[in-house]
Amino acid sequence: MAFLARLGAPVRGFLEFLGDQAHLVLRTLRHALLLRMGQLGVVGGQTKLQIRFTGLDALWLVSGTALLLGAVTLIQAFSQLSGLGAENYIGVLMVLIILRELGPLLTAVLVIGRSSTAIAAELGAMQLNGEVDALAVHGVNPYQYLLLPRWLGVLISVFVLVVFFDTLALAGGLLVAKLKYGVTFGFYLESVRQSLSNRDFLATLLKVVLFAGAITFHACHFGLRIQRSQTEIPQAVTKTVVSALVAVFALDGFIAALFYF
Amino acid sequence: MIDVRDLALDAPDGRLLLEGLDLAMPRGGHVLVSGPSGCGKTRLLRVLAGTERPARGQVRIGGREVWPGGGVLALDGHVRLGFAFASGGLLSNLSLRDNVALPLRFLGLPTQDQERRTGEALERLDLVAVAGLRPHAVSASARKHANLARVLALEPELILLDDPLEGLDAADRGLAQELIRAWAMDASRTLVVTAEEDQGFAFLDAERLQMAPISLSQEPP
Repeated sequence: MAFLARLGAPVRGFLEFLGDQAHLVLRTLRHALLLRMGQLGVVGGQTKLQIRFTGLDALWLVSGTALLLGAVTLIQAFSQLSGLGAENYIGVLMVLIILRELGPLLTAVLVIGRSSTAIAAELGAMQLNGEVDALAVHGVNPYQYLLLPRWLGVLISVFVLVVFFDTLALAGGLLVAKLKYGVTFGFYLESVRQSLSNRDFLATLLKVVLFAGAITFHACHFGLRIQRSQTEIPQAVTKTVVSALVAVFALDGFIAALFYF
Repeated sequence: MIDVRDLALDAPDGRLLLEGLDLAMPRGGHVLVSGPSGCGKTRLLRVLAGTERPARGQVRIGGREVWPGGGVLALDGHVRLGFAFASGGLLSNLSLRDNVALPLRFLGLPTQDQERRTGEALERLDLVAVAGLRPHAVSASARKHANLARVLALEPELILLDDPLEGLDAADRGLAQELIRAWAMDASRTLVVTAEEDQGFAFLDAERLQMAPISLSQEPP
């Protein structure tokens, strides 16, 4: 019984957490549907701010990471493939490694590091300062003013960043392939194109939607739970990072199994 | 406007601050809640505002059930509330002007009305010179006045003021008192004010609710 009790507590905690997340998502969706025309400008303004911070401000970081990753992946892959005389498969490997897996996954990791931490800390500070209560009391619905714009902003940003990451990683690979191994632009692109399928686009789109949701709502959940003191903020940020990373990796595995298993 | 039944409030450590409070206030009614620091005045105000769940009891505002229920969101815009916080409560990433204007924007008022009401409220509370600054860049008095200006611009039916005169110098106190007096004379507004002492509110013809200090002999559960 003691063993079951020990096992039960974390399971119950996990299920409660999932319930809280579902509750947060459903309430945000419900309040999004209740938005009036006059409120769209305010929500749109907040969404733009979130896109600027999560998307635009992260472009340099994502560009550098993607270029390097593409180049390194190609060097490693080409050295193995050329030993086997299988250079033609370079496109397959780039699609498998970069487009299917590392592009969305590393983008999500970068967004978790930059934005989910910021969202959790910001909402925590707002909660402590009574700002969330003040919004609600004065008729500014926090689901519409705080959660919805962050969700939309992160969703749009993650989509753009994944497209940007994949494009630049392929460009990094192409650069190395051309300069070091003399592979032509046409051969490389054709090899990548032949390896791509509609399934890859669908899987990437699903990853973008689910990753963005996980990143936003983990941050909002831990940020809004802060009640008493400033010392809770770094704890909430740490929990957000760990929890969002676990969620993103789990979702990645789930989508891989759903589409490719 | 306010209907409170058998309300109990507990402190964060679990000790009871208030038990069995019944309060019925018609539209246009006023009540001054006084008591020493830590006795639960602010918590009572937060419970009435629907942002904090009571330990027990029922709270109805304008006929809608706030507790037990969904809190402030249960009002769903049917009753307009204004809450002047004793400290905090202003969005730190917005200027004082935007803090005052935000609820009006969210109400969907025409831009001209938003600007007029925001401007008038800032002027009345003598905030025009600092209206473009963010809360951290202005004095505590200005922040307090900005809280009042936000309430004034919103023209709410139920006004909750948490220690609105505390920490204000004579001139600022006069401005706040004048505003509270005007609200009290307006029969369409219901007013709940908290204060440690009711000295500054002699002008307020309001029902008095004296809260007792928390009992030190009471052990936390």
